[in-house]
Amino acid sequence: MALALLIGVPIGIRVLPRGDVTITASALLDRIEGSRDLSYSGYIETLGTLQLPVADNFTDVGELFGERTRIRAWWRDADEWRVDKLLATGETDIFRDASGTTLWDYEKSRLTRTVDADIRLPRASDLLPPELAHRLLADVDRADLSRLPTERIAGRDAPGLRLSPGASQSSVDHVDVWADPDTGLAVRVEVFAKGAETAALTTRFMSLSLEKPSLSTTSFSIAPGAEVEYDEVIDIAAAANLYAPLKPPNVLAGLSRSSSSRKLRAVGVYGAGVTQLIAIPLGDRAAAPLREKLRLTPGAQALVAGDFLQVGPLNVLLTRFRWIDSGWLITGTVTRATLLRAGRQLDGEIVYLGSRDPP
Amino acid sequence: MIAVELHKLVRSRRTWITVALLNALPTLVAVLLAVTDLGPRPGTGPAFLSAVLADGKLFPLAAIAIVLPLFLPVAVAVVASEAIAGEAQEGTLRYVLTRPVGRTRLLVAKLVSIVAFVVIAVLVVAVSAYVVGTLLLGDQQGVASTSVSGTALSTEELAWRTGLSLAYATLSMLGVAAIALFLSTVAESPLAAALGTIAALIASTLLLTLEAATSLHPYLPTRYWLSFVDLFRDPILWRNVGRGTALQAAYVVVFLGAAWANFTTKDITD
Amino acid sequence: MITTRGLTKRFGQIVAVDHLDLDVREGDIYGFLGANGSGKTTTVRMLLGLVLATSGEISVLGQAMPASARAVLPEVGALVEGPAAYRNLSGRVNLALFDAMGPERDPSTRDKRIEEVLEKVGLAAVDKRPVRAYSLGMRQRLGLAGALLRRPRLLVLDEPTNGLDPQGIREIRALLLQLHAAGTTIFLSSHLLAEVEQLCTRVGVLDQGRLVIQEELATLQQPTGRTLVRTPDVQLARGLLDGQVEHHDDASLLVRVTDVAALNSRLVTRGVRVEELSPERRALEDIVLAATQPTSDQLTGR
Repeated sequence: MALALLIGVPIGIRVLPRGDVTITASALLDRIEGSRDLSYSGYIETLGTLQLPVADNFTDVGELFGERTRIRAWWRDADEWRVDKLLATGETDIFRDASGTTLWDYEKSRLTRTVDADIRLPRASDLLPPELAHRLLADVDRADLSRLPTERIAGRDAPGLRLSPGASQSSVDHVDVWADPDTGLAVRVEVFAKGAETAALTTRFMSLSLEKPSLSTTSFSIAPGAEVEYDEVIDIAAAANLYAPLKPPNVLAGLSRSSSSRKLRAVGVYGAGVTQLIAIPLGDRAAAPLREKLRLTPGAQALVAGDFLQVGPLNVLLTRFRWIDSGWLITGTVTRATLLRAGRQLDGEIVYLGSRDPP
Repeated sequence: MIAVELHKLVRSRRTWITVALLNALPTLVAVLLAVTDLGPRPGTGPAFLSAVLADGKLFPLAAIAIVLPLFLPVAVAVVASEAIAGEAQEGTLRYVLTRPVGRTRLLVAKLVSIVAFVVIAVLVVAVSAYVVGTLLLGDQQGVASTSVSGTALSTEELAWRTGLSLAYATLSMLGVAAIALFLSTVAESPLAAALGTIAALIASTLLLTLEAATSLHPYLPTRYWLSFVDLFRDPILWRNVGRGTALQAAYVVVFLGAAWANFTTKDITD
Repeated sequence: MITTRGLTKRFGQIVAVDHLDLDVREGDIYGFLGANGSGKTTTVRMLLGLVLATSGEISVLGQAMPASARAVLPEVGALVEGPAAYRNLSGRVNLALFDAMGPERDPSTRDKRIEEVLEKVGLAAVDKRPVRAYSLGMRQRLGLAGALLRRPRLLVLDEPTNGLDPQGIREIRALLLQLHAAGTTIFLSSHLLAEVEQLCTRVGVLDQGRLVIQEELATLQQPTGRTLVRTPDVQLARGLLDGQVEHHDDASLLVRVTDVAALNSRLVTRGVRVEELSPERRALEDIVLAATQPTSDQLTGR
């Protein structure tokens, strides 16, 4: 009896008040798009089910997309925020302010100041439901939208929105977004691959406050005695962009280079929303270990175009230049055919940039 | 009756042997860390263990993190299983009850005595870890410690957060104690009750690693044990600590209730 | 002091105690006899509230058990199925701990009472050794000391002389008689007929869960109307008492005569040398054996 109460009450509370919110899909999208300047703070859980081959340089990405992650976020605005990725035995934090980004890793006891790179690998702050929703719903065709029933999320009745992309080049079947009907803040996002029953990636608020967090919370106060490192290059994508001597084409596999990425040097980002593709030129020191991991991953295929792997909605191709280990890492939420076409195209039209030596 | 149980607890040699054994592993770890100066790789090993190399004042927390997942609950299971089944096996239960000590009163006294054991164990582990930590691993006098979020913690703040963590660790053991106490009223021998309790804990730990059991996770007794780390984030993350507290309270209510229902209607025939 | 009405206890299909109507009066030394498995221990445990009755009523010291256990049991001293103590503690510490349990504690007189009962049971010289090192007899004495600690009005003792040597048995018997003389009612459960015969004033006999006898020992042992004559002159005596001799052997005769004095003078005046002359009484053993079924040691399911 007591046991039944114990289990029943929380479930009951979760299920009970679910008054449906009447709002059209299009109006809900408008609300979500209008929520960019909102301040909030909350506790977020994400669940990725993609088992990516993880070479050392990509460990964080592998964890984000393949595991359960707990995140605390304080968001004042796009330039002042703090996102903590909570670990059982520590945490890794990103502090963002006008002067740049500060990374804190408790277990390595390492504090790093970086400038904001034009391109970088995904990190915890990209998985916040509002951030992910804005990225996935960019340039969306309203004909692809439909409404989902209201769900109770983080204590709010949140109406749902489904995006089923018509674009045949996308490997994403649909994206579900639930948002606070009053403010349009996305509170839960789920991404489904074509043919998949369960979400490849889920991120949702477990608790949420719409009050503006204080500046003292989001700014990093350096503990006395802590050593600070300065790093210009935060990850392998940024490094490739800065130092690789290759220039990506303006149109790849029929997708045009996104306007925001045109200022990038060697890395190309193509398409928008759920049909996106990124091409990163990797030198042999970065490509060799990744290729080794890729080949060891179950389901990996060695094709003429390079080593190919499909993980949920994410397709990965690592091409290989004729006699050395380096090649293009091409990945994104596009179909296999699109990815292979991109690989062939990049292999055929190599455009060298003037080389720039590492400092 | 509570005074009698506490008296027995303090006079029992087994209490002190158990506490001493609990201390052995953290002390060994401290010595190894001091000798090799090698911390665990990030993401592996108990919480705070990488940080104690720089700051010995954090070693009580690392010591608690070392004993909390296995050694402490096993010790609690063994001690709590003795409560009723042990007295029954020794034959003293019938004399206690004909004194007369009410059966409800006896259960409550046993629970209090188990909690006292946990408090003693946790305190002794923490104090000896503090001594060992500051002696072997260095005590940066005057330098503030660092929170998990990288902010500075004054000595005063470190002290009360450590105190809170010790209290939470003690609280986390209440569920184990209640389960063991219940099994102790059911099983013929304390050994069977202890093994049953340990089996339940192993099952809980195993289910926590299973994605398919996600819907069960919030109800598993071991789910929030290590959440005391959250007390060292800045600002403190109360979410899991609060849930852990409520969960332990629920376990105490359910299993103490079951123990009470079983014990008060039981024929004492041994 | 103890009365039960229709007291019944079932363990599953087995009826351990079957409609028991016990009646122990103030001032009795009540011998509760029965073979192993007859339900004796279960009854004792029910009286003390350890085992809960299936049906029937129990009243101890005039109050219902187990409902009034908190009021009743402080005035009852009990020894149930052997003594027990915390093995790693000394006898004195054990007594102190048990005395500190339950209601009606009196810490101010505790040490005095402990010395007093240890003296009584012959353990006054006991040192600080833990009970683990005690002999069986010492543990039995310690158990008895525990029962006496609160100066109870009623003692419920289950096999109290178990494990004692003959000297110890005598000491304990003397102690019980002394307590009885001081006004303590004693309920003594035993399978030793001799012990009950020597100590008790009233007897209850349990057989397969039923009370088959409950009577004053003196009433049970009424003279049979026959007199036992021991003499070397058996043939002479037989001739003299022709027709009244029921049984004889080489050294004795059994004579249907109640007036022992008259018989004595009659025999002696006729030159019969009389070695012993006594009115025959029924032995408790015979009474018990006659009342109980021979299979009482076996488990019977009903």
